[in-house]
Amino acid sequence: MIIIPCSGIGKAFGSISRDATYEVTENLRKETTQTLCLALLVSGDEESLRLVRDNKCITVDGCPLQCAEKNVKLAGGDLAGSIRVVDVYKENRHLKPRGVTFLDRDGQQMAFAVAGKIANKVDDLLREQ
Amino acid sequence: MTERPEKKVGIISCSGEECVEGTISRVATRLVLGKLRPNETVTICLPLFLAGGREEREFARDYPTVTVDGCDKMCAKVATERYSGKPASSLVVTDLTKGWQCPKLGSRRKLNDETLTVTRKVSDRIAEEVDEVLRHWV
Amino acid sequence: MSEYLQTTFDKFELRVRKGFYYTKDDLWVSVENSKARVGVSDYLQKTSGDVAFIEVAKPGSTVEKGKDLGTMESAKTTVPLLSPLSGTLDEANSKLTGSPELVNSDPYGEGWLVILTPRNLEDDRSSLLSADDYFKLMLEKLQSERGKLESR
Repeated sequence: MIIIPCSGIGKAFGSISRDATYEVTENLRKETTQTLCLALLVSGDEESLRLVRDNKCITVDGCPLQCAEKNVKLAGGDLAGSIRVVDVYKENRHLKPRGVTFLDRDGQQMAFAVAGKIANKVDDLLREQ
Repeated sequence: MTERPEKKVGIISCSGEECVEGTISRVATRLVLGKLRPNETVTICLPLFLAGGREEREFARDYPTVTVDGCDKMCAKVATERYSGKPASSLVVTDLTKGWQCPKLGSRRKLNDETLTVTRKVSDRIAEEVDEVLRHWV
Repeated sequence: MSEYLQTTFDKFELRVRKGFYYTKDDLWVSVENSKARVGVSDYLQKTSGDVAFIEVAKPGSTVEKGKDLGTMESAKTTVPLLSPLSGTLDEANSKLTGSPELVNSDPYGEGWLVILTPRNLEDDRSSLLSADDYFKLMLEKLQSERGKLESR
């Protein structure tokens, strides 16, 4: 399964989407998931396009603009799930991440919460297969 | 080109999730934006740029840009050329590190001390490119 | 002719809707017959970040000019919303419960907050800013708050 974060550079939620993806692909579900660079889809990298078309994809977007979801859809990827960090924030209102370049403590905690959501979605999709 | 009152340079970094050089590119860009050249630079969010973000594309069309890519696939440069115009300058982290004889770079997720040192060198290099672009501003 | 006064700051386009009135705290008022529709300005939504929660007084409540109307919350900040007019709150925008991002994407349209029946519209309106005056105020604020704007 391919987990694709937006990695938006201007907002803390973009950094959180990226870190949550690493938490899943390097730790929580490292046997069943991997990530790839969103920009490669748009630049037409054939290997990346093949990966997203042949595997189920979960996008992780920092904000409601949902750039990762839009770009995966445009690339013809098999979009099986979309996680928005802002929705996880709504369930964790006490967390106020400030750091964008480097995540602060609240940012790391939010990344773990987002990673949990991604992992649950991965499990759901695997059960369906 | 639309008239713009201020001298600004747009920096477009790759998102580079797959490799440590992508993270270096991202962090180095943010260091330039936040510390080294905060008044002279604007960062363009690449995923938003790719998804059609109007403000991002118009800025990159009307102002000079510096692209910063982690690897030789050069996604930021390719996207900028496709959607807005040729960048004024392009840097590739793997090219820079080859010339510097860097230690083995660590995790793409959490930059260790050695990688942070390399990141700061990259940010200095980006700042030099920004200065060069501003020197030639017409 | 554009409906908006507009400026560009870094890469951000900031708009002020003509024909509306404004408070110094960045709320707008649109007079519609005898009612007043209230929302937040483009400047306020951009500096606040992605809105996650909007909480306002209940329909039927009395609100007083300059006093609490509600709050707007993002991960970045919680902004107190002060009522631009005195009167009764008739309606809150129910769409904002499920889609608070409307405040960011369409602050002068679908992102409206409340509709009020003003108690003394003419008196209260005289102390609000015209679009031109608010635009000038916004330009001053932009100079001192560089770095707070966020991409939409």
